[in-house]
Amino acid sequence: MRTIALFTGVIICGLSVGAYAATEVIHQQGRVFSSESISVKKGEAVTFLNDDTVPHNIMSASKGNEFNLGSQAPGTSTDVSFKEAGDVQVICAIHPRMKMMVKVTN
Amino acid sequence: MPVRGSYRSTAFLATIASAGLCVLGFSTIGFGAAVVGESRKVEITQKATGGLDALKAQYRRPTTIPFPKDDPYTPEKAALGKKLYFDTRLSVSSAQSCASCHSPGFGWGDGLAVGVGHGMAKLGRHSPTIVNAAWSAIFMWDGRLPTLEEQALGPIQSPGEMNMKLDDLLARLSSISEYKPLFDAAFPGEGMKAKTLAQAIATYERTVVSERAPFDAWIDGNEKAIPEDAKRGFAVFNGKAQCAACHEGWNFTNEGFQDIGLPSKDVGRGEYLPGVIKMQHAFKTPGLREIGRRSPYMHDGSLATLEQVIDHYDHAGVDRPSRSDLMRPLELTAQEKADLVAFLKTLTSELSPTAVPVLPR
Ligand SMILES: [Cu+2]
Repeated sequence: MRTIALFTGVIICGLSVGAYAATEVIHQQGRVFSSESISVKKGEAVTFLNDDTVPHNIMSASKGNEFNLGSQAPGTSTDVSFKEAGDVQVICAIHPRMKMMVKVTN
Repeated sequence: MPVRGSYRSTAFLATIASAGLCVLGFSTIGFGAAVVGESRKVEITQKATGGLDALKAQYRRPTTIPFPKDDPYTPEKAALGKKLYFDTRLSVSSAQSCASCHSPGFGWGDGLAVGVGHGMAKLGRHSPTIVNAAWSAIFMWDGRLPTLEEQALGPIQSPGEMNMKLDDLLARLSSISEYKPLFDAAFPGEGMKAKTLAQAIATYERTVVSERAPFDAWIDGNEKAIPEDAKRGFAVFNGKAQCAACHEGWNFTNEGFQDIGLPSKDVGRGEYLPGVIKMQHAFKTPGLREIGRRSPYMHDGSLATLEQVIDHYDHAGVDRPSRSDLMRPLELTAQEKADLVAFLKTLTSELSPTAVPVLPR
């Protein structure tokens, strides 16, 4: 339920900011990502926001789009943009249940 | 008793899929292809916690066991799996079974600091319990196996453990005439093979669930079920000591990996994620059910009592770059430590005895 609520929140937020909101925000409350899968354009930023109570490690080993945020403290956010089109599996190395797909399009 | 099917088997499969990705292929990657911006502080409005009742609701026991869609529960499969689990002929020496290291007598562990493998040689790590493995997202202390089915075959084949080649094992089981009809009944049209052997053992293991403990009666509303010091301990567990940051939910684990600062050379999960500093010396957070029967504690079995475990967390262990950011000196009082121990003791049930199965001949 919380996931759905947060996801809805992200959509509403995006709409209200209007056409200039090129940035997707992924929340991390309750050891889950707020979306299981999102779609972004190549070069467009995704904001990973740790609004949880514990540190997370957000990373991807997907070819061409590897990144690793190290230990992301609660109350911090980091923007990530992707260079290559394709499916990017994003995980938290600390919490194996945290995983999502970012579809990067041309 | 297990319930057929699963309300969450889809989630379970998704977990397996991603855990698979996770285990494969991380050892050779370089980072930095995506463009990562600066981290910045963000104002977060933490939602109200909702008090003790809301907190207790997070610890309510599930009513069914999750079984994966591709290995659903059947009584025939679980019964066959139980025979295999207790059968010492699964090891090359015919002296060790799964139950040797994961024994019902020791809370489904072995009561030793580190396991004992083939030829009585000591293993590198403490034998973890299999209690509540049905809810696990990832297996082994270092998370190297993504499913319970794969886990079942791991120790059988490992040279240091049961040291049994699968082909040899299938030949041996085929020579035991009473096994064939059991496999045929459990796996119609499939019979005996490595896959069904693994599925039977995993299915049995999923039925090994911690029983109702005093804590569960308290969660369900019986205020007299646990003593007052345990209730205070529950508050410390969720508050000052921050234990619940990792030991969360009814099974007291989020399946996560943390370096908790034990002075051991073992890099744990770091072997599979060499590029991730926080995974060096990181091990899977174990659940705490039946904890009173599971000493000694930690991945290396280095701490003998719950009091020592709490002292370790209080001191925060070895400070090194990989150590979890959650590990910091807690400055717990003697009373708080005693209350935590009192609370942990309420997580142990009066486990009913497990009947050892009559084995096929
Ligand atoms: Cu995480």
